[in-house]
Amino acid sequence: MNELIEELKVKIIDSLNLIDVSPADMDVNAQLVGGDLGLDSIDVLELVMMLEKDYGVIIDTKELGIEVFASIAALANHVFHHRTETND
Amino acid sequence: MGIVSPLGIGVEETLTSIKQARCCLKPLQMFSTPQAPLAVGEVDLTDSSGGMPRTHLLAMKAATEAMGQAAGPPDAVIIGVTTGGMTLTEELLKKKEKDSRCYNLHSTSTVAEIVARRFGCKGPVLALSTACASGLAALKVAAEMLRAGHARRVLAGGADALCRLTYYGFHSLQLVDPTGARPFDRMRRGMTVGEGAAMLMLTAADEPPPGTLAEYLGGGLSCDAYHPAAPHPEGEGALRAMTVALDDAGIRPEEIDYLHLHGTGTADNDQAEARAIEHLFGEKSMPFLSSLKGAHGHALAGAGAMGAVISILAVQYGLMPANVGFSAQDPLLIPVPLGRPQTARVKKVCVHAFGFGGNNAVLAFGEPDGHRDSRPVAASAITRQPYFYVHGRSCLSAAGDIEQTMAQLKEGKSVRGIVPDTDILKPLDNRAVRRMKRLSRMVLSLAFSACRNEAARAAPRAIFFGTGWGSLSETYDFISKLFASGERFTSPTDFIGSVHNAPAGHAAIHFGATGPNVTITGGQGTFEQALYCASLLKQDGPVLLVGADEYHKTLSPLLDVSPSAQAPPGDGGAALYMSSQSSGAICRVNACFAVLADAESACIPAMISSLGGGAGIRERFGLVLAGLPPAEREEAEIQMASFLALTAFTQPVVDYRRLLGDFASTSAVAAVLAVYMVETGQIPAAFCGNDFVGLEGKGILILGFGRHVTALEVSPW
Repeated sequence: MNELIEELKVKIIDSLNLIDVSPADMDVNAQLVGGDLGLDSIDVLELVMMLEKDYGVIIDTKELGIEVFASIAALANHVFHHRTETND
Repeated sequence: MGIVSPLGIGVEETLTSIKQARCCLKPLQMFSTPQAPLAVGEVDLTDSSGGMPRTHLLAMKAATEAMGQAAGPPDAVIIGVTTGGMTLTEELLKKKEKDSRCYNLHSTSTVAEIVARRFGCKGPVLALSTACASGLAALKVAAEMLRAGHARRVLAGGADALCRLTYYGFHSLQLVDPTGARPFDRMRRGMTVGEGAAMLMLTAADEPPPGTLAEYLGGGLSCDAYHPAAPHPEGEGALRAMTVALDDAGIRPEEIDYLHLHGTGTADNDQAEARAIEHLFGEKSMPFLSSLKGAHGHALAGAGAMGAVISILAVQYGLMPANVGFSAQDPLLIPVPLGRPQTARVKKVCVHAFGFGGNNAVLAFGEPDGHRDSRPVAASAITRQPYFYVHGRSCLSAAGDIEQTMAQLKEGKSVRGIVPDTDILKPLDNRAVRRMKRLSRMVLSLAFSACRNEAARAAPRAIFFGTGWGSLSETYDFISKLFASGERFTSPTDFIGSVHNAPAGHAAIHFGATGPNVTITGGQGTFEQALYCASLLKQDGPVLLVGADEYHKTLSPLLDVSPSAQAPPGDGGAALYMSSQSSGAICRVNACFAVLADAESACIPAMISSLGGGAGIRERFGLVLAGLPPAEREEAEIQMASFLALTAFTQPVVDYRRLLGDFASTSAVAAVLAVYMVETGQIPAAFCGNDFVGLEGKGILILGFGRHVTALEVSPW
């Protein structure tokens, strides 16, 4: 799970171009959207696309999105339990 | 007028579809998709030939119908368009086509140009790209051109074709209902991407000429300045556009019989629009209303113009369309659309178009009964003054900002090349621009620098942005990610950033600029056209005018013929902070002339005349900066020779592209440097050598030659 968390941190930084943020700075339990990182609805859509592309995980309702993106820990937990074969 | 949409080809077929309340949405057929095709509004185009990209084809069909009975060419052509040649460009990029000649109809401005040339238009030709509001914005600009007396007949409208960019783009934002839009319905789940075109011939006259279908009453443009992709939740920007439109028309809300909704069917758009309508009309004065996007989809730039045509049909035939796709009222939305077509006398109508980046446009039309223009004379007088006073300026070149650029030019060196990233980022907060790529960053950087001293006093209210090529980085990244994944994945951020008006939208959000927000593309005449548009849409408050283009290492060599073997890659831009206030101004600017060149160069005498004749030019200007694009060199040199012969101008004439670079909006840099030169009286050695005696109190004239012939004056104040 820790490996997945670290992997997700890097992917979040890359897909959202968070150039001044390092994985070590990211609090896994902090609010992901609307928190210190300054993420908004467009960023969420970008992450949704990343999750489907890299993990085969689909987020297609607002409610699921709120649950999954509550924090990095919540995200990792969801991905861990729902990932399918990744496609290249 | 002319219209081509999923409802049918031409007015008659459209009317039939409206009478039958037909839903013309069906699963995508135009190209194959890895997953089940979503419902779209696709036009039944049996002859997709002529070698033209699809958007151009749609525009031509609608224009041909509109010009049907017309006597003679239009004086101007103004078209709203966002996709340009993208449908074809995508295919070419997928095949990795390297011959740049194949891409010659990619630019949105070519849609307007091709229509203008087909119908022999010798006047201004403008292409507006303000996302989904483009079509109505084009009609509004056309109307202002007529009111200003610059033209008597203008062909205006909007056109957009389906393409992978918009199909997959909107889908990536989770805004699409796969089974078809249900505007204003309780169970609505999203929009339907569509295509279509509509054109109207607007004529200025004291009495309605025979054959008049309706009268243009007024229009309003505004910007939410809220978020790049979501509307203001209370519909504030929409309400502003509606209020301005009715004020402009001199009519009260209760006079509107029918309102043609923007009504895309997304949860947010419909709610925002409903709120705005509720605020303006109140429950007692609610007009009949409906959206047809459940019948024909959302044709983006085509949408507003199609709405105008359909609303005028309502006036003509007393037939208001049903809101196809609507079955149950959403209790949160007070306005309830028509469940079936309604016949009644329709005297006055309103059309809505609300786009990405928060661009809003609302127009009002009425029965052609000679409604008198009731706006107070004083207001009209202000808008007739064409020039602006400049209070702030900035530029970006390979040398850096304006001071660095001038310093290098003073040493006799050129500044052409690629603008360094560090110079773009200097005035910007890295975090705040993390989602923006090159062009948006350039525009924001230029905006901050130009408004720097003035921002504390008054932020710009309106923004006009000229770009020849738009956001190439986002466009390329979106398309390449899409194709790399077999059309399964792409980037929502890149889609939002790829629209031409994205940079101006970012600027609007930063400055809270809620007035008109217009993006123009016009080949080498882009900046002059943007300034001209700004003067037509003049209101109270300061204006930000920006011209910029980015160089993209893959796309630029394919799309822009100029940076070919003859000229090295270059990009850059410039901005002006302007207003109608003269006190404290640096100088005055005016876009005096901007047309598509004709084969015989007959536009040169007209251009000279617009500047006060040869004598006027010799008296007022001490220097001419001439733009001769390498790819249009032959034509340009003939025109310039004609200009010199007719005006007997003996002061220096500088070929500025050799010094500043070759990109569509290079004239923006030339104009802003001219502002600097007029302000300080210093002419850098790179322009005229070290022996030039100076301007001696005169102004500088910036001329564009080639396919677009333009004249922009920078005069002392």
